[in-house]
Amino acid sequence: MSITSLAFVVFCVVAILVYRFLPSSYRTGWLFAASIGFLLTWAWNLAAILLVVATVNFTLGRWLGVATNRRRFFLWTGIGFNVLVLVALKYNGFYVSALTSLLERMGVQTGDGVLKLLLPVGLSFITVQMISYLVDIHNKILKPEPRWLDFALYVVYFPKLLSGPVERARTILPKFKQPSPLDAAAVEKNAWLIVVGLVRKLILADTLLSIIPADIFLHPELYVGQDLALYLLAYTFVIYNDFAGYTSIVRGVSGFFGIELTNNFKLPYFSRSFTEFWDRWHVSLSHWLRDYIFFPVSRALAKKIPNRENIVHLLVPPIVTMLVSGMWHGLGWNFLVWGGLHGLYLIFERLTMLRGPRRLPDEWPKWRQVFSALVVFGLAALAWIPFRMDLVTGWHFLARMLSPHAWTLPHLWLVQAVSTGIRGVTSWREFAFPDMRVLLVLIPALLLDWKQYRRKSETFFMDWPAWAKGLFLALVVLAIRLLSFGETSAPFVYQGF
Amino acid sequence: MTRVPLQKKSALTVILSFISFLVIIAASSELVARTPWVEKISPYRSVGNYDYQFEIKWFRLQDYVKQNGGVDVIILGSSMVNTGIDPDVMAEAFFEQTGVKLRIFNFGVEGLTVAPNSVIAGILVERYQPALLIYVTEMREFVAGSGLDYETRFLADPWLRYERGDFNLSGWAVDHSAALQHYLPYQNWMRADFLETQPNYLQRMRVTTASGYELDSKIGQNIDATPDPNNPDDAENFAAYQNFQIDSSRLNNLQSILDLRQTGETTLLVVEMPVHPTFYAFVGGEAVHQQFQQTLTAFVEANGGSFLPAETCNNIPPEGRSNRWHLNYLGAPIFSKCLGQQLSILADQQNTDFVHVNMGSSK
Repeated sequence: MSITSLAFVVFCVVAILVYRFLPSSYRTGWLFAASIGFLLTWAWNLAAILLVVATVNFTLGRWLGVATNRRRFFLWTGIGFNVLVLVALKYNGFYVSALTSLLERMGVQTGDGVLKLLLPVGLSFITVQMISYLVDIHNKILKPEPRWLDFALYVVYFPKLLSGPVERARTILPKFKQPSPLDAAAVEKNAWLIVVGLVRKLILADTLLSIIPADIFLHPELYVGQDLALYLLAYTFVIYNDFAGYTSIVRGVSGFFGIELTNNFKLPYFSRSFTEFWDRWHVSLSHWLRDYIFFPVSRALAKKIPNRENIVHLLVPPIVTMLVSGMWHGLGWNFLVWGGLHGLYLIFERLTMLRGPRRLPDEWPKWRQVFSALVVFGLAALAWIPFRMDLVTGWHFLARMLSPHAWTLPHLWLVQAVSTGIRGVTSWREFAFPDMRVLLVLIPALLLDWKQYRRKSETFFMDWPAWAKGLFLALVVLAIRLLSFGETSAPFVYQGF
Repeated sequence: MTRVPLQKKSALTVILSFISFLVIIAASSELVARTPWVEKISPYRSVGNYDYQFEIKWFRLQDYVKQNGGVDVIILGSSMVNTGIDPDVMAEAFFEQTGVKLRIFNFGVEGLTVAPNSVIAGILVERYQPALLIYVTEMREFVAGSGLDYETRFLADPWLRYERGDFNLSGWAVDHSAALQHYLPYQNWMRADFLETQPNYLQRMRVTTASGYELDSKIGQNIDATPDPNNPDDAENFAAYQNFQIDSSRLNNLQSILDLRQTGETTLLVVEMPVHPTFYAFVGGEAVHQQFQQTLTAFVEANGGSFLPAETCNNIPPEGRSNRWHLNYLGAPIFSKCLGQQLSILADQQNTDFVHVNMGSSK
C-alpha cells in the first residue's frame, strides 16, 4: 500500500478514529495490529521477518539489562545479528548468484527464484534502530523495554516503517505509552504536514523525476552539457522533495496518533556549511551516525592518540562516518564514493576552521552566507552523481557536463526555419533550448523552501487567513488531479534503502 | 443560541473557501475554454485516451459532422484503414458511378483490432447513425491474443467506459469539460518523452485530412521477396501467425459489429484489406487464406452483412505499399477508387444510395 494512495488515506482514517475512541490500555495493541495490517499489504513474510527481528532484539535487550558480565558479548551478538540480517536480505545480490552456481555445481538444482530472498522494506532503517537500542542499554542510558508488544510496535510502527525517520527507543517508546493530546492546533498542524508532504512528493518530486529522461543517467553522451547540468539540478530537487515529502506525510499521520516523529529535513539546501548540511539533511540518520559512529570513533582515537591536535582526529572520524553512511545506502563503489566525497567536504571544512576564531554561520557577513550556501549546494549536487549512477557512467557524466565543448547555444536559426514552415522537427530537443519544464517546477519548489526558511516554520500556512488556506488547498487538489492524467507516480526513492 | 468554538469555525471557513474556490476555478476555466480565443490559440482537444490517434479521429469526426451536417459512411479499422483509404477519392469514385455525393469518414486507428473496434463501432453508430458502416479487416486480427495488451489498456480508459454506459466521475468530467479537453492534449507535458511525442502528435494532427485520411509517403522495401522463416526480420511474424486459426471470441466481436444493423438504419459491409500476396506465407499459404475467406464470408452473410474479399481490389503495385500490410500515397488512391466503385455496385444491388437520411448527432 503506497502512502500516497487512496487506500492509505482510508486505512489511516480508520486507524486514527479507532485509536482515538479506544481506551488508552488498548491503543498500543491497536497500533500494533494496524501496523501488521499495513505490513501484510506488502508481503506476509515481511511481517514474519520483522517480528523475528523484534523478538531477538527484545530478548537480547532484556539479557543485556540484567547481565552483570558478558555484556559486551550480548551487545556484539545483537549487532552481529542485525547486520547479518541486513546483509543476508538486502545485500544478497553479492552472494546469491555465487551460491546458486556453487549449489548447481554440487548437483543441487535451485530453480528460478528459489534463492531469491525478500528485501523487507525499511530494513536498513530498522537495523540502525535496533543497534542503537542495544548500545543504549549497554551504555546504561536506556532500560530494556519490559513489554514485548511495546517493543514490537517500535519495530513495526507503520508511519515510520518504510523509510524512517530513524527513531531512538528512548525517545519514541515513552510517546507510545503517553501520546500527546490531540487538540485543534495539533490537528491543523498535522493536516498541513500531510498537505506539504503531498505537494513535495506528488507535485514537485514526481513531476521533476518524470521530466528527467531515464537514459540520461545511463548514456550521458547523448545529451549536451547544459542538459546534463539542468537535469542534475532537477534530480537534486527530486531526491530532496521526495524524501522530505515522505517524511512530512508520515509525521502528519503519526501526529494524529499523538506520536511526534523526528523532522528529518530542515531545508538542507540553505546550509552554509557541510556540518550544517548534515544537521539539516536526513537528520535522524545523520544524528545516529554522529552518536554511534563519529563519537565512538573519536573516543577510540582519543584513547590511542591523546593529543587532540593530531591531524588524525581531524581526518578519521568524518571520513569513517561518511563511508558508513555510504555503505548504509548500498554496498556499491558509487555509494562509497558518495560518502567519501561528503567525508572529504567535512574534512576540508574542518581544516579551514583551524584558521582564525570559529564563528557560527549566522555570524558571517551576508555575502559569505549566500556564497557558502551556493558552494555547499553545488558540491552536494555534484555528489549526487555517484549516488545516482555507477562510477564509470558518473565520470562520463561529470566530464561531459564540465566540458565547454559539450555545451551548445540554442539553435535560433531552426526556430526561424520552423516558424516559416521551411522545415519541421521531430523533437523539441532539436532547438537545444534548456528544458523550461524543469524551471517551471523549480520555481514553486524554491518558493516553498524560501517561505519555510524565512518564516522558520514548515507549516507557515497556519498563519494564513482562512480564505487563503482554502485557495491554496483548491490549487493543490487541482494540480494533483491534472498531473495524475500524465501517469507520473513513482515509488519513494528512499523506500529502496 | 450556542456559540461555535473559534477553531471549529475557522476549519469550517477553510473547508467552505476550499469548495468555493474549486467551483470558481472550475467554472472560470470552463468559461474561458469555451471562448473562440482558446479555440484559436489551442485548437487541439483530447479525452485523455491512451491512443492519441483515436482522439484525432474522434474530434475530427465531430468537426466533419458539424461542417457537413452528418456522415453517410464511416470506415472503421486499424492503421491499414488510416493510411489506406482516402474517403474523398472514394466519394469521388462513387459520385462518378451514381451521381450521389457521399459524406465518408475514415476512422482507422493504429493498433486497434476487432475487439476494441466493436466497442467503437457501437458508439459511432449510436452517435452518428451512418447509412453504412464499413469494417475493414484482415487475417491477423482474428488470431487469439493479437493486440490484447493494447486493447485491454484502451478499453480501460475512464472516458471510454463512460461512453459505454459505465458511469465514472473522471469519464463524465472529461466528456463534459471543454477546459479538460483543451488541457488533455498536453497531459503528458511532464514526461521526458513529451518533447519527442508532441511534435509527432501535432504533425499527425496537421496531416490528417478533414475526412480522417492520413497520407503515408514511405515505400516498402523487399516486400516482393517471399518471407523466410530463417530471416530474423520475418521470424516474429512466422511465430505469431503459423497454425493460423480464427479465434471464436474475435468472431463474436465481429458479430457485435454486424448486430449494429439491428439498432437502426445502418448497413454493414465487411471489407478484407488487400495485403501484399507474400504476406500469406506467414499464415501457411494461399490455401489457408482461402479457408479464412470462406469462413468469414459465411459468417458475415449469416449475420446479415456483406463481405468484400481482398481480390476485389487487389490491383495495387508494390510501390503503392509502405510494407506488406499498409498502402501508401500511391496505393491508397487506387484502392479507394476501387472501393468507391464497388460501393456503387453494392448500392445498386441493395437499391440504396447510402445517404444518411437524418442529421447525425454532433454532441
